[in-house]
Amino acid sequence: MRINRTLTGCVMKGPKSITPDFAPIATSFLYQSEALGMQTVANENCAGDEALCFEFETPHTAPVICEITRWADPSRQATVSENIMQAACGLMSVHGRTHRQPKPLGLNYVSTLTAALALQGSIAASIGQLRGLPVSNSTVSMAAAALLSMSQYIAGATASESPETAEATEATRPLPGLSPACPPFVSLDGVIFELETLDAGPWQKFWAELGVSSAAAGKGWRAFLLRYARAASPLPDELPLAISKLTYHRISQVCARTGMAICPIRSIDDRAQDDDARQIWQQGPWSFSSFSSEPRPNGEYLRPAGALPGEDLPLSGFTVIESCRRIQGPLAGHLLALLGATVIRIEPPGGDPLRGMPPMAEGCSARFQTLNRLKTVCEIDIKSAAGKTEIRELARCADVFLHNWAPGKAVLLNLDHGDLATINPSLVYAYAGGWATDCAEHVSSNSMPGTDFMAQAYSGVAGKVARAGSNRGGSLFTVLDVLGGVVAAQGITIALLNRCMNNVGAKVTSSLMSAATLLCADDFRDIYSLPTFGSKPSASIINEVNDVYATRRGRIAVECPDMDTVLRLAEVLGITAGIENKGFQRCLSEVFLSKTAGQWVELFQHAGIPSAIVIEDLADLQTLAHLQPGLTPGSYTQVNSPWRFK
Amino acid sequence: MKFLLILFVFKANYGEINMPITISIPTILRPLTGDQKRIEVDGSSVLDAIERMEQQYPGVKEKLITGGEAHRFVNIYVNDNDIRFSEGLSTRLADGDLLTILPAVAGG
Repeated sequence: MRINRTLTGCVMKGPKSITPDFAPIATSFLYQSEALGMQTVANENCAGDEALCFEFETPHTAPVICEITRWADPSRQATVSENIMQAACGLMSVHGRTHRQPKPLGLNYVSTLTAALALQGSIAASIGQLRGLPVSNSTVSMAAAALLSMSQYIAGATASESPETAEATEATRPLPGLSPACPPFVSLDGVIFELETLDAGPWQKFWAELGVSSAAAGKGWRAFLLRYARAASPLPDELPLAISKLTYHRISQVCARTGMAICPIRSIDDRAQDDDARQIWQQGPWSFSSFSSEPRPNGEYLRPAGALPGEDLPLSGFTVIESCRRIQGPLAGHLLALLGATVIRIEPPGGDPLRGMPPMAEGCSARFQTLNRLKTVCEIDIKSAAGKTEIRELARCADVFLHNWAPGKAVLLNLDHGDLATINPSLVYAYAGGWATDCAEHVSSNSMPGTDFMAQAYSGVAGKVARAGSNRGGSLFTVLDVLGGVVAAQGITIALLNRCMNNVGAKVTSSLMSAATLLCADDFRDIYSLPTFGSKPSASIINEVNDVYATRRGRIAVECPDMDTVLRLAEVLGITAGIENKGFQRCLSEVFLSKTAGQWVELFQHAGIPSAIVIEDLADLQTLAHLQPGLTPGSYTQVNSPWRFK
Repeated sequence: MKFLLILFVFKANYGEINMPITISIPTILRPLTGDQKRIEVDGSSVLDAIERMEQQYPGVKEKLITGGEAHRFVNIYVNDNDIRFSEGLSTRLADGDLLTILPAVAGG
């Protein structure tokens, strides 16, 4: 087993004790730091309740203070936790659209995202130092990370032309009866699984073979296609009904004949048994390999061609060439642009079709702009000889080349890392894929489209979401596309620091699958029987109390970290029945109806009980004073950079 | 009697009559349609409507159709129904139908 620990020799100092709300962030942050080969040590200087602080130091730079706050607005100190932030920034509502009510994701999602962004910020700041910028502090807030994850949905809800607010409200409004049918599917023998195809043809053939009418299949196709954008996929009842009459084996056979991809919802235990799982968990979500054959004198790569960076961002002056579609890859490019890089985006002749995906804002898809508004577009036919020559010329002068082509395509195009390293040995060549590698023949999963929902199913993430929420599995919120984009940008930033320090170019590979491993790193640690960084509250009464409640107006999310907080909650609510009493939770539900969510949150803040009004209409986010530092209103509401440097 | 005969003739030729329909133009095609968001054309089928649109706004057809079929990354709906699940480009149109063109979307 070969693991390239890129930042061996660097040190990450952290606090000795951590407040409970920051514990999942600290755990993920330290896991990532150690996976990169850093030495992690405790430091008294990093203590404090207002922010979680680490100190990052390379052999070539002064320490960078990496500060993690709860809110972007430093004056706001309301107590938060994972679920509270999911509620306050709209994530619960987006995830809950399929259930017609807001629901916690059941993952330490915002915490993992915050940790990854914080680590990337401190590494970027060190690059800035090496390039002459007077930067010694990088700050990220949990709220900024949560808003970043919501950026495409916020754009859709606030676009100037036909925003989706009304539709989203319709999808989330509680209705009597069952929620509409939606993926994943359940076979006759009880196997829960995802189906995937990016073309209408296989979908049409598959349902025709199952005896479903063309009209129902057509209606289902539209809902299925739009699930990436809307986090909802109401299917005609005919579809799940037809599925429920066949065994999984039989359905798999139909899939094989019709070209439809199928993947059962697996558990993390299942995933942990895969050949590649342990290595991915040990090496972290990135795979690095250096390819420079011509070491250059120290300092040659520190300042790119052209003028020294005039702006005050760490990656200003670096050039990134991006050939990516959809979400994960474009988000990675967007994050590098937010750090100051010049990003040149390659699109097919005529432009990316997703530019026309409604809702629109000033003539372009609001969702598309969310990920691509800072980039320069270059239309190139990558399959033509002239196009490939053009790409090589762009790569010759670039610092980073990023793509998310299908496995094996880079080799076919003669644009693999070896091809481009020959003409630019200092290049950072990045692949942000669906599965763990870009080798077409590597694992069986590579025969499936590497999309978010298939990766959720295969990786065990969907199974974990199902267990937490008592549903069938997975989220139609693009859990892994967003985290995968952050991980890809993070890997590129790490490789750029390595280049600055060691004068080597590199290939960095990341994927939806490796992002899933990062997201569930604690579970893998438990399975592989290794000690944890922090302690987890496990009392069942706490888990039962931590929930979303209806109030006189609006919903409230409550998350008590310990029994003391549960007792304070009972006191504020005026519930005298013992918390061990079976009727306690029913009593909670009744008492919450006596005041509005806003009134309860105010009372809970004084008592130090983590709580938040559940945001159900994403357009409301821009009206909240404490979130305004993270948002810019306009033809659609933009989510600002999660990083602040000083 | 004369009234009934006229009705009969109309019905017998129904399939040949060009029906006025509305096409919702995606932003990506608006440079070709003089920035119009919606245009009205006559057409008895989806293909017919696209060809008539091509006559008025050259270049539109090749953005939508390749090898006699709709591009794989383009979805064409008649009202709310994807034409691939009806009769494709031969799907018949009725007076007042709305033809919507949308790019495909996926994650990953």
